[in-house]
Amino acid sequence: MAIRRRPRSTRLLVVTLVSISLAVITLDYRQRDSGPLAIAGDAAKTFMAPLQEAVTTVTQPIGAFFSGLAHLPSLANDNERLREENAALLTQVQVDAAQQVELQELVDLLDLRDALDPQAVAAVVTANGVSNFEYTVTIDKGSADGIELDQPVAAGSPDAQMLVGRVVAVTAVSAEVLLIIDRDLAVAATIGDTREAGLLEGQGASDLRMSFFDSGTLVEGGEPVFTQGYELDGQSGVYPPGMLIGQVSRLIPSENETQQYVEVRPAVDFETLRFVLVLQTPGSA
Amino acid sequence: MTRRVIVTGLVIVTGLLLQSTLFWQFKLLGVRPELMFLVTIVVAILEGPQEGATTGFAAGLAQDFLLNQPKGVTALTLTLVGYSAGLARQYIVSASPLLPTILVAVGTATGVAFYQVVAFLLDQLQEPFAFAVRVTLLSALYGAILTPIVYPLLRRVIEGSRPTRVVRF
Repeated sequence: MAIRRRPRSTRLLVVTLVSISLAVITLDYRQRDSGPLAIAGDAAKTFMAPLQEAVTTVTQPIGAFFSGLAHLPSLANDNERLREENAALLTQVQVDAAQQVELQELVDLLDLRDALDPQAVAAVVTANGVSNFEYTVTIDKGSADGIELDQPVAAGSPDAQMLVGRVVAVTAVSAEVLLIIDRDLAVAATIGDTREAGLLEGQGASDLRMSFFDSGTLVEGGEPVFTQGYELDGQSGVYPPGMLIGQVSRLIPSENETQQYVEVRPAVDFETLRFVLVLQTPGSA
Repeated sequence: MTRRVIVTGLVIVTGLLLQSTLFWQFKLLGVRPELMFLVTIVVAILEGPQEGATTGFAAGLAQDFLLNQPKGVTALTLTLVGYSAGLARQYIVSASPLLPTILVAVGTATGVAFYQVVAFLLDQLQEPFAFAVRVTLLSALYGAILTPIVYPLLRRVIEGSRPTRVVRF
């Protein structure tokens, strides 16, 4: 008797869990950014943020070490010298090099803040999205540091002011930045020399795709693409104008005369992004 | 029971932490492992469909809360993955050490594909078909590669958290 009842109770459990999942999907779909599920999501992110920061601090040198090993073939000269050193010294060299890069990135970021927006908040990338289908990073600054929804996020140096994305979720101690490569993000942009305007949309792992407002645009490969400032009903756009987004990587032959597209390779290397600047004055830099 | 819940919770949090930090640097051809799928399937293999479904639901919901997509899709997917993997294990009579690896690969591929179909129907996923297939296959392969490392570890942890039976005469 007991043996017959056990599978039924398992099936009942599965049906219950599936029903709860469907209810959660429906509830979240209707309520979106408000309601108990959104609050629970914020609480989960607040709980995870310090843990992610701690894990990143611990695992960063390990990742840098293995990343360094992966790039050793391209460093032939260094290889000769390093081969004579022992494994401990090799590790030390990798860590030192990573720290130098970090230092330069921080100096560039400070200069960028002075040039772009003195009120901007510098932040460290502590984690990345957990899904293969969502392109976000988590930063270590939140509403307690003045971070708000929809603030633009930049990286680079005063000579190369690069757009990273936009803040889409904020907790007290962390914030989530939707990267420009995500499919949910679109940016008004211009092609460097031609100043032709268009809409740039994320394509996930592939290069970004830019469609032009004017179908007769002549574009060449390698041209830089910048954010475009605009004003609508007295409100300026989210992103400051003139920020580098990337370079034209491919011209897509148009299927009809009214549509024209190019592909744009992002200037920011999101794989190695460590420090960012959250701008406090959107659209006005 | 309480001990099992705490242990499962710790395993899920650890998996999510590693997936969002360390494994960002260790991608397989641009794809991260789906550690929640791996944990769910391994628990299902070791403990059966009931535990598999429950762990899958908890792991999926935890991952959902860290996403900006509609919550519940991962929970739904992993509940079904956990239940199916546990059920499959009961019907497959094999002592092959490769069985967990195969179940993880097949379960992850099926689960990731199912997730994408549901997300597509909810208009939350617009990835090209080729990318979707690539992520499905590579995450399954990554899961299979990690199974020989994760399976013995999780088996130890889960067996250690089993309630000890007291037999009275």
